[in-house]
Amino acid sequence: MTSDSVPPQPSSRWHLLARKDVLAGFMFVGIAALGLFLSRNYPIGTSLRMGTGYVPRLLCWILLGLGAVVLIRGLRAGEAMGGPPLRWRPFLLVPGSLLAFALTIHEFGLIVATLLLIGIGSLAGRELRPLEVVIAALVLVTMTYVIFVWGLGLPIQVWPDL
Amino acid sequence: MGDLFSNLAIGFGVALTPLNLGFALVGCLVGTLVGVLPGIGPIATVAMLLPLTFYLEPVSGLIMLAGIFYGAQYGGSTTAILVNMPGETSSVVTCIDGHQMARQGRAGPALAVAALGSFFAGCFATLLIALFSPPLAKIGSSFGSPEYFSLMALGLIAAVVLAHGSVIKAVAMVILGLLLGLVGTDGQSGGTRFSFGLVVLSDGIGFVPLAIGVFGLGEVIANLLAPEQSRSLVDKKVTGIWPTREDFRQAWPAVIRGTTLGSILGVLPGGGATLSSFAAYVLEKKVAKDPSRFGRGAIEGVAGPESANNAGAQTSFIPMLTLGIPGNAVMALMIGALTIHGIQPGPLVMAERPTLFWGMVASMWIGNLMLVIINLPLIGIWVQLLRVPYRLLYLSILLFCAIGVYTVNNNPFEIILTAFFGVLGYVFLRLECEPAPMLLGFVLGPLMEEHLRRAMRISSGDPMIFIERPISLGLLIAALALLVIVALPHIRSKREEVFQES
Repeated sequence: MTSDSVPPQPSSRWHLLARKDVLAGFMFVGIAALGLFLSRNYPIGTSLRMGTGYVPRLLCWILLGLGAVVLIRGLRAGEAMGGPPLRWRPFLLVPGSLLAFALTIHEFGLIVATLLLIGIGSLAGRELRPLEVVIAALVLVTMTYVIFVWGLGLPIQVWPDL
Repeated sequence: MGDLFSNLAIGFGVALTPLNLGFALVGCLVGTLVGVLPGIGPIATVAMLLPLTFYLEPVSGLIMLAGIFYGAQYGGSTTAILVNMPGETSSVVTCIDGHQMARQGRAGPALAVAALGSFFAGCFATLLIALFSPPLAKIGSSFGSPEYFSLMALGLIAAVVLAHGSVIKAVAMVILGLLLGLVGTDGQSGGTRFSFGLVVLSDGIGFVPLAIGVFGLGEVIANLLAPEQSRSLVDKKVTGIWPTREDFRQAWPAVIRGTTLGSILGVLPGGGATLSSFAAYVLEKKVAKDPSRFGRGAIEGVAGPESANNAGAQTSFIPMLTLGIPGNAVMALMIGALTIHGIQPGPLVMAERPTLFWGMVASMWIGNLMLVIINLPLIGIWVQLLRVPYRLLYLSILLFCAIGVYTVNNNPFEIILTAFFGVLGYVFLRLECEPAPMLLGFVLGPLMEEHLRRAMRISSGDPMIFIERPISLGLLIAALALLVIVALPHIRSKREEVFQES
C-alpha cells in the first residue's frame, strides 16, 4: 500500500495503482494465484470421488476470475485510496504487541506477557503519557488476574518459569 | 397453539433458573458496557467476549452470548444518541435524529423511546421465532444434501446482495472465506490443505482468531490511524427520561411499522439489524406528513429504526436456529459458538435439544426486559463510560483479544494468527472489502463441501442433480434471480440509495 498523504499526480502511472479496486483486485488475484500454486499437487479426483484439491482449486479459479474483474473495473474507473495516511506505528506495533504476548506467555507467564503487550501497545497510540501507561498497566494486570485466573480459574501460568 | 405454550413453558423453565438468569444479566451488562464504548461494534464485542462463554454449559453460554449481543446492540444506540458516533452500522440512522434530540436537551425521551420501542420489537420478534421455527425446521429436516447445498448458495448470495458495498467484491470475499474454511485436514480424503507445512494449521484456522483478528484488531488499527475525532458528547445532564404524551402519540405508529419491517427483513439472509434500521428510516420519512422534520430531532426517526433493528436482530436467529444458515456476521459467530460447544446447528437442534432451543428463545425475551430495566436507570453510568478516552481503551481491547484467544486452546500460535488477521482486517477496511461475507463463507465452507460431495455421490457424479430436484432448482433459481436483479442499473441505484441515508 502506498501512502496517499501527497495528492496523486494525474499524469503518473502510479496513481492508477493507488486505487481501492485496483489494489483489491491485485489482492484477490494474488491470493488465488498463491492458492493455485500451493494446491498444484493436491489430487483432484473426479466429481464422483472428489479429491483433496477439487473444491479448493475450483474456488481459486473463481476467485482469480472475480479478482481480475475487480482489477479491470478499478483500472477503467476507480476511486482513489482515501482515508488517513498510513503511519507505520499502529500498523506494526498493534500486531507486534500481540506477537510479544504470544512469544512470552508460555515461558514468562501472564504478568510479564501483559506488561510487554501494554508497553509495546502504548507506543502504537499517540499522546499517551508515561504515567497513564503505568496506571493502565497496573489496573489491567490486576483486572486480568482477577477475571481470568481468580474468577474463571483458568490454567494460565502467572509467573515466569524459574 | 398448545404446542407454542408448552414449548415456551419448557423454555422459560430453563431460562428462569437463577443461574441462567444470572448469565443473561451478566451478558446484557457486559454487552452494554462494551457496546457503549465508542469504536467497538457488536460484531467485535461478541467476537471478543466469545471465549468467556466456552466454559459454561451450552445453554448458559448461548444465553449469555445472546445477552451480550442485545446489550452491545443497545449500547451502540446510546452512543449514537449521546455522542453522534455510531458504534455500528445498524445505529447510523439513529444518530441523525437521536443526536439532534439530545442537543435540544431531549436525550432522555430519545433514549426511552429507543428502549421501549426495542422492547416492544423484542417481544413481537420472540413470539415470531416461537411460531415460525417449528414449521421451518420441519421443512429443513426433509432436505437432502443437494437441497442444503443450494440453500447455502442462496444464503451466501442473498447475504451479499442485501449487504452494502460492491457486490462483486463481496462475492470475492465469500469465496475467500470458503477457501479459508478449507484450510487444514480434509475430513474425507485425509489430505492436508494450505497448511504451509505448519502442524498447528492442520486442524484448520480457528474461528476465534479469525473473528477477533478481522473484526476486533482490524478496528483498533483503523481507529489508531484515523485522526482523533472530536466527540460531541452532550454535556447537559440527562434529565427527564419519560417522554411526553405528544412523544408517545408520534412514536407508537413508528414503533409498529419499524417492528413489522424489521421482523420481515431480519429473516432474510443478509438482513438483520443494519438493513432493517436503514429501511425503517426511509419508510418513516416517506410516510411522515412533514418530512422536513427529519434530521432535526423527529422522534419517529429514532423510534422506527430502533424498533426495526432490534426486531431484525432477533428474527435473524430464525434461519440460524432452524436451518443452520447464518444470515449475517453475528449469526455466523453464533454458529461458531454452537459448533465449539459440540452442537451442529440445523433442523435437528430443536428436536434433539429442546431445552437448549426453547431456553434460548425464552431468554431472548428476558434479555430484552432486562435491557429496559438496566438501561434507563443506569444511563448516568453509561454516560460516564463515554468519557473514557480511546487512547486508554485500546490497550484493554488489545489485552482482552490476546487473552481471549489464548484461553480457547492455550495455544500461543493462535494469538499470532489473530495478529495476522488483524492486519488483514485493516487492509480489507481500507480497500472497502466487507469482511462479513467472508465470515459467512468461512463458517459454511466445510459444510458446503461436504454436502457437495454427498450430493455427487447420490447422483454418481452428475451435477445435474441440483437442477433435477425441484426444491434445489427453486433455490438456485432464486439465487440466480437475485444476482441478475442486483445487476440491473435501476435496482443498483436504488440499492445504493437505501444505504446512503446519512
